Amino acid sequence: MKRFILTAISGLYLSIAFAQTTNPLKSNGERESQVYYAFTNAVIYTHPDKSFKGTLLIRDGRVVKSGGDVNLPAGTVVRDMKGAFIYPAFIDALSTAGSPEIKPVHKSGPVYERKNEKGFYWNQAVHPETRASDLIKTDDTAFTILRANGVAITHTHVPDGVIRGTGMIAFTGGEDEREKILKANSGLVYSFEKGSSPQDYPSSQMGSIALLRQFFYDANWYNSTNKKKDYNLSLEIFPSLDSLPRFFSVKDKQEILRAMQIANEFDKEFIYRGTGDEYQRADVFASQKTKLIIPITLPGPAEVSDPFNAGLVNLSQMKHWELAPHNARILTEKKVPFSFTFEGIKNPEELQKNVAKMIDAGLPFKSALCAMTQTPAEFLGIENEAGTLEDGKLANFIITSDSLFKKGSQILETWVNGYRHIHKPVEMADIRGNYDLNIGGDKIYTLIVSGDRFSPKAKAALKGSKDTIEILLDAGADLLTLNLQPDKKLSKDSLPQWMRLSGKVNYKSGIWDGKGQDARGNWINWSAIKKGDYKQPADTTKKHNFPPGEVLYPFNGFGFSDLPDTSIILIRNATVWTNEAEGILTSTDVLLKDGKIAEIGKGIDISKIRTAVTIIDATGKHLTPGIIDEHSHIAISKGVNEGTQAVTSEVRISDVINAEDINIYRQLAGGVTTSQLLHGSANPIGGQSGLIKLRWGRTAEEMKFDASPGYIKFALGENVKQSNWGPMHNIRFPQTRMGVEQVFYDAFQRTKEYMAEWEAYNLLTPKERNKKKVSAPRVDLELEALAEIMRKERFITCHSYVQSEINMLMHVADSMGFKINTFTHILEGYKVADKMKEHGAAAATFSDWWAYKFEVNDAIPYNAALLNEMGVLTAINSDDAEMGRRLNHEAAKTMKYGGVSEEDALKMITLNPAKMLHVDDRTGSIKTGKDADLVLWSDHPLSVYSKALKTIVDGVVYYDRAEEEKKRIAIENERIRLINLMLEAKKRGEKTESPKPEKSRQYHCDTLEE
Amino acid sequence: MRTFIISILLFTVSASLAQEKPKLFVHAVLYTGDGNVYTDGMFAFKGDSILYSGYYNPDFDFSNYEVIDASGKYIYPGFIAPNSTIGLREVDAVRATLDYAETGLYNPHVRSQIAYNAESVIIPTLRSNGILQAQVVPKGGVISGTSSVMQLDAWNWEDATVRKDDGVHINWPSMFKRTGWWAEPGKTELNKERDKQLTEIRAFLREAKAYSELKDRKETDPRFESLRDVFTGNKTVYFHANFSRELMEIARFVKDNSIPKAVIVGGSDAWRVPEALKESGLSVIIDRVHDLPKQEDDPVDLPYRLPALLHKAGVTFALSYDGDMEVMGSRNLPFTAGTAVTFGLRPEHAVQALTGNTAKILGIDKHTGTLIPGKDATFFISAGDALEMKTNRVEAAWIQGRPVDLGNKHIDLYNKYREKYGLE
Repeated sequence: MKRFILTAISGLYLSIAFAQTTNPLKSNGERESQVYYAFTNAVIYTHPDKSFKGTLLIRDGRVVKSGGDVNLPAGTVVRDMKGAFIYPAFIDALSTAGSPEIKPVHKSGPVYERKNEKGFYWNQAVHPETRASDLIKTDDTAFTILRANGVAITHTHVPDGVIRGTGMIAFTGGEDEREKILKANSGLVYSFEKGSSPQDYPSSQMGSIALLRQFFYDANWYNSTNKKKDYNLSLEIFPSLDSLPRFFSVKDKQEILRAMQIANEFDKEFIYRGTGDEYQRADVFASQKTKLIIPITLPGPAEVSDPFNAGLVNLSQMKHWELAPHNARILTEKKVPFSFTFEGIKNPEELQKNVAKMIDAGLPFKSALCAMTQTPAEFLGIENEAGTLEDGKLANFIITSDSLFKKGSQILETWVNGYRHIHKPVEMADIRGNYDLNIGGDKIYTLIVSGDRFSPKAKAALKGSKDTIEILLDAGADLLTLNLQPDKKLSKDSLPQWMRLSGKVNYKSGIWDGKGQDARGNWINWSAIKKGDYKQPADTTKKHNFPPGEVLYPFNGFGFSDLPDTSIILIRNATVWTNEAEGILTSTDVLLKDGKIAEIGKGIDISKIRTAVTIIDATGKHLTPGIIDEHSHIAISKGVNEGTQAVTSEVRISDVINAEDINIYRQLAGGVTTSQLLHGSANPIGGQSGLIKLRWGRTAEEMKFDASPGYIKFALGENVKQSNWGPMHNIRFPQTRMGVEQVFYDAFQRTKEYMAEWEAYNLLTPKERNKKKVSAPRVDLELEALAEIMRKERFITCHSYVQSEINMLMHVADSMGFKINTFTHILEGYKVADKMKEHGAAAATFSDWWAYKFEVNDAIPYNAALLNEMGVLTAINSDDAEMGRRLNHEAAKTMKYGGVSEEDALKMITLNPAKMLHVDDRTGSIKTGKDADLVLWSDHPLSVYSKALKTIVDGVVYYDRAEEEKKRIAIENERIRLINLMLEAKKRGEKTESPKPEKSRQYHCDTLEE
Repeated sequence: MRTFIISILLFTVSASLAQEKPKLFVHAVLYTGDGNVYTDGMFAFKGDSILYSGYYNPDFDFSNYEVIDASGKYIYPGFIAPNSTIGLREVDAVRATLDYAETGLYNPHVRSQIAYNAESVIIPTLRSNGILQAQVVPKGGVISGTSSVMQLDAWNWEDATVRKDDGVHINWPSMFKRTGWWAEPGKTELNKERDKQLTEIRAFLREAKAYSELKDRKETDPRFESLRDVFTGNKTVYFHANFSRELMEIARFVKDNSIPKAVIVGGSDAWRVPEALKESGLSVIIDRVHDLPKQEDDPVDLPYRLPALLHKAGVTFALSYDGDMEVMGSRNLPFTAGTAVTFGLRPEHAVQALTGNTAKILGIDKHTGTLIPGKDATFFISAGDALEMKTNRVEAAWIQGRPVDLGNKHIDLYNKYREKYGLE
C-alpha cells in the first residue's frame, strides 16, 4: 500500500511529497498504492480525549485529515464504517517481542573471568553494544499477537543482562524486514538480572548494582582519560547510547526505588518497566514524577476452596489480587505518568476483560487510552509521529466493532504503517436475527441466529412446535451452509438423518436462499426471510462494586494503613534499665518527645505540655533501651553474599534492603530496634553493611540509620577458603588461611597505591592538570571502600573463629595502618582476649553456638563472659532471624555461662553494640537527649518469661503487643472477605492460582547455595 | 558406670554415715514430670530407683536417710531429647563425622543404636543442662530407619541403650516443594509427585504386613523383617509431617493400616486438627518451639504458643530440638519449654513435655520419665528454675541412680584460659 522512509520521521514531513523506499522499483508493474482511503460514519478518537462522528482520510500511511465533515478528494476508496469506532493504534513502550529465548547458563564449576573476547567490558552481563535490531525476529508470532491486540508499534529488546543493549522501535506489521523498524537503537535498557552471562559475578542484586555503578564510572573515565591502555568497545560506545531514552526493567516496586537511587547518583532518568504493584508505593513515585510502564496482565484469584490450603495463601497475595486492577487508577489519581505494556496479553478478549476491570475500578477511559497511545509515544520520543491521529501523523489506527473495552467489542482491523491487518471478516454483514426458514416449500421453521457476530450460531423449531433443532451454521461473507436433522423423533435403530442446505445471503433484503439435499439425497429448494433483528442479551453477570481493601505499608497483613507518627509519650512508673551510671531505677517515669528521650525522673509533671500526651502505665514492668543486633541478615533482597570474588568491597547491603521483610516486624516483637545487616562471609573482603532502624512500614531509604558511619564485612576461615563449598570450588584464591592473609595485604597495598594516585591528582590545580595533560584516575569502587577504612570513615566487622586467624588479621591491620573495629562470631576470642584488648577490637559473638564446622570445635559458651571480664567490648548477636527476636534470652545465657551481671548482660545487646557501631551517642542507653529507642517488657528483660510489650523506635510505637489480637482478627476478617470474593470470581470462570506457601529464605552468613 | 566429681555440689551433708544411707532431698521445688509440682518437695532414691517423691512430710522418719536440705533448688526428672541425632553427628560440616542419613529411600532396617557414639564431646555439654536421655533417630529418605532411646552417660552403645529399636521413622511426602535458588527463592509449588509417593508408601507397608503374616517365606527380607513389630505395636511408627491436611491423611493411614502405635513428629499444624489426631491415638513430638511462623500471616508467636494450644486441645505432646544445629543446640531444649510457659503453658506441663510425656511417647515410661517411686532414679538438681536461661544451673545429676559427671570440654577450656589470664 505505501512506504515511507525512515529518515522522514525525524520531523521533515511534507504532506504532498510521497515517501520513498530504499527498495528498487519492481518491474512487474506493481506500484505502491497512491489512492486515498476514507473511513466514514465512524466514531473517531484522534486523541484519548477528542472524539467525533465523521471521517478519517488517509493516504500513503499518513493521516491526511479527519473531522465531522471532510471533503473526499477524487481517487478515494470510501468505506462506510457505520457503527464502528476508530482509535489510534496502541504503542507498547517496552516489550521483548521477537527476542530469542534467554536461558541462564548451566555451568559445571565457577567462572570468574571473561574468556576469548577482546574489546568488550570485562563482565558479560554488561553489553550496551548489543542491538535488538540484530537479534529480534520480526516475523515472530509475538508480533501477530500484538497486532491482534491493536498494537501497531512496540519498543522491543533482548531481555538479557544488567545493561542489555539498545532496543528498537518496531512496527508490528508490514512486509519487509526493513520497513518493520521505525527506529533502531531507540533506547538503552537496564535491569538487575544477570541473564545468560556465564560469569559468576554478579551473583546478587547488590552485585548487579555495584557493577552498574562501576560501569558508569568506567565510562566517564574511559572517555575522558588520556591514560587508557586498551580499547574497549562497550565503554567507547556508551556515551552515544546514554543520550537515548533509558529504560529499567524491574521485578517489583522496591527495585524501582533501588534503581532510582542509581538514577540520582548519576543524574540519569529512567523509565521503569514495573510489574503492577506500583500502587503500593504510589506516593513515592508521585513525589518523584517517576515514569512507569505497567502491565495489563492481572493476577488470578488464588485457589482457596479448601480452608486448610487457603491458609497457605498470604494476605498480601490476596490483597494484590484485589488491588492490582486499581493500580492504574491509583497512579492516575496521584498523577504518576505511566504507560501500559501489552506483554503477557494473549488475545483481545483478555485485553478487553482486564482493561474493563481497571475501568470498573475507577480508571477513566481517557487515561486508559492515553497510557496505550500518547504516553508511550512520549516515552519513546515519537510523539510527533505516533500516538494520536492528528493530520500528518502515521495512520496507525484500529477499527473496533463497538466502543473500545466494552464487553463484546472486537478489534476488527489494525492499520500499521499503511498496512491493513484484518482480524475479523469485516466484509461479512451481521446476519444475526430471527428468520422464517422455508425448506422444500412445505415446512416452515422459526430460525434464530445469535452469538458472535462473525461466527454466529443457529437453532430452529418447527412453527408451532417447542422442539428445538440444533443447526450447524457455517456463514461466510456472501455464502452460507446449514446442516440440520429436521426429524427429532428417530427410532434408536435408524441411521442419522442429516439435511444439508447451501445458499447465498442478500443483506439488504435480509433474505437467504439456495438449494440443498435431504437425508435421502433428494435436491430441494430453501429460503429464509428475516423477521426480526438480533437483540444482544442483557449482561446478567453480577457486578460487585464493593470498595477494595486498604493499601498497607508494608504490603502484608502486619502493615499499617496509616503509618504511626511520633507523639509525646509518658511511660509511668517503670523499672528503668538505664545502662548509665544510674543503673536500674525503680518507679521511674520517662518522657518521650520529638522522637527523643526528653526527661527521666520520678513523677514527671506534664501539666504544662499543651499537646496530647499518651500515657503508658508501666507499673511492674521494665523499660530497657532497644535491642541492637550487631549481626543480622534479615531484610536483604536477592543475595546476602556476593562472594564470587575474593574482594567485593564495592557491593553494599544498603542498596538492597527489603523494607517489606516480615522478619522486621518479628524482630520488633522481640524488642529489636536497630539491626546491622551484614554481607555474608563467602569471601575475605565482603560487602558494605547496612544499618537500619526497624521503622516498620517505611521505605528502605527511610529505615537507614541516618548519620551513622560506614561499615564493612570481612571474613576469615572455612567460608572464605571455600572449605565446605563442594569439590568444584578449589580454584579461587585463597584456599588456605595462608592465602587469606595475602589477600588482605594485597587489597590494602592496592588501596594505598590508589589513594596515592588520587592524592597526587588532587594536589594539582585544574590549570596544572591541563598543562601537564593529567586526567583523573579511574574511580574504583572496590578500593574506594577500602580507602574509607584507611581514613577511619568505614569500620570493619570481621567474621572470625580461630585464634590464629584473629591474630593474623590484627597483625595485617597494625602493619597496614588500620584497625579491626569488631570481630564477629569470634568464637575463640577468649583465647586471645588480651591481644584483642590491646588492638582495641570489640567482640560480637554467639551465646552458645559451636560444632557446626571444624573451626568452631573450641567454641565455648563462656566466650562472652570471659571477653567481657577481660575488658573487651562485647556484644551478643543473632545471625539468625529467629534468634534475633530472642536476643534477651541469648544475653541471659552469659549469666548462666560465666556469671555476667544482669546489667552487663543487657548491655551486650544494647549499649555495647551501639558503641561498636559508633552510634552510642544516639542509642543504646536511656539518657536524656538520646533517640527514644525503647522496649517495655512484661517482666525482667533477661527472663525467658518476659515479653516485649511495646517496641518504640524514635518515639514511635512500631510494635504493640496489646494490638496483636486486634491485628490477628483484622487479618482473619480481611482474608475471609477476600476468600469470598475469590470464590465468586472462580465461579465466574476466572482461572485460579494454586496455593503456594511462602518459604522466604532465612539468611545466615554461611548461606551460599542450596 | 562412670566416675564422677560432685565438686559444685553445695549441699549440706548432715551425717557421716551418709555413704550407706539413701539420699533424701527436702524443701526443693520438685517437678515429678507427670504434670505435678511440689513447691516444698521431698524426694529420695536408693540404688537405681526412686523411693519417695511428694510434699515435704515433717512426720517422716528421717533416721535411715542422708537428709539433704535443698531449699531454693529445683529437682526434675532427667530431660529427654526425642527426635534427635545426638551421637550420630559431631561436626555438621565434616562429612566423616556424620552418621545419621543413609542413602536410599526405604531403609527401615537401618538402626541408629549401633552408630551411637557414646564418646561424642557434645554429649557432656547436654548433660550439663539437664538432658540425660535421648531418642537417636536416623534421618532422610522416605523411611529413614529405626531409632533407639539412649541414656547420655555410657561407655558404649550397649550400656547406653534404654530402649532398643523403639520405632521406625517415615517422612510423609510433603504437599509442597520448594523452587528457586538461594538468592531468589521461588515460591513453593505443589508436589506433583505426591500421589505416586503415597502409593509407594502404601504398597510398601501393605507388602510388609503381608510378609509378616507369611507362612512359607523363601527368603528373609531385612527391610520387611524390621517392620514386623510395627504391626504388633512393639515398634512405634513416627510420621514426620507438619501441614494440617497431611496430618489428617496420616490419621486416616494409621487406621487403614492397623498401626497400633503411631506418633506425629513436627506437627506445626496439629492444633488445627486435634480431633483427627486424637481419634487415631496420635501424639505429637513438636520439632522446635523456637521457630519462625510458617506463614507470613501467622501470629508472630504462633510457634511459641503451639505447646499451649496442643495442651488445650488435649493432644499429648513432647518437645524436641529438631532442625539446624540440633545436636549441640539440644542443650537449649529446656529453654524452649520456658518459652512455652511464657506463651500459655503451665510450668509443670512444660516439664512434662520434656520428661513424662516424652517417655510415654517413646514407650519407656514404665521405667523412666517421671519421678514416681519405683522408677529409675534419673534426675537432676538445679540451683534455679531450669527452664530459664539465667537460672539453669545443674549442680548434680543421676542416671539410673549413678551420679553423672557434669564437667565438659567447655568448662575445661574456660578454666584453662581463666588460668592463663590469672583470673580468679
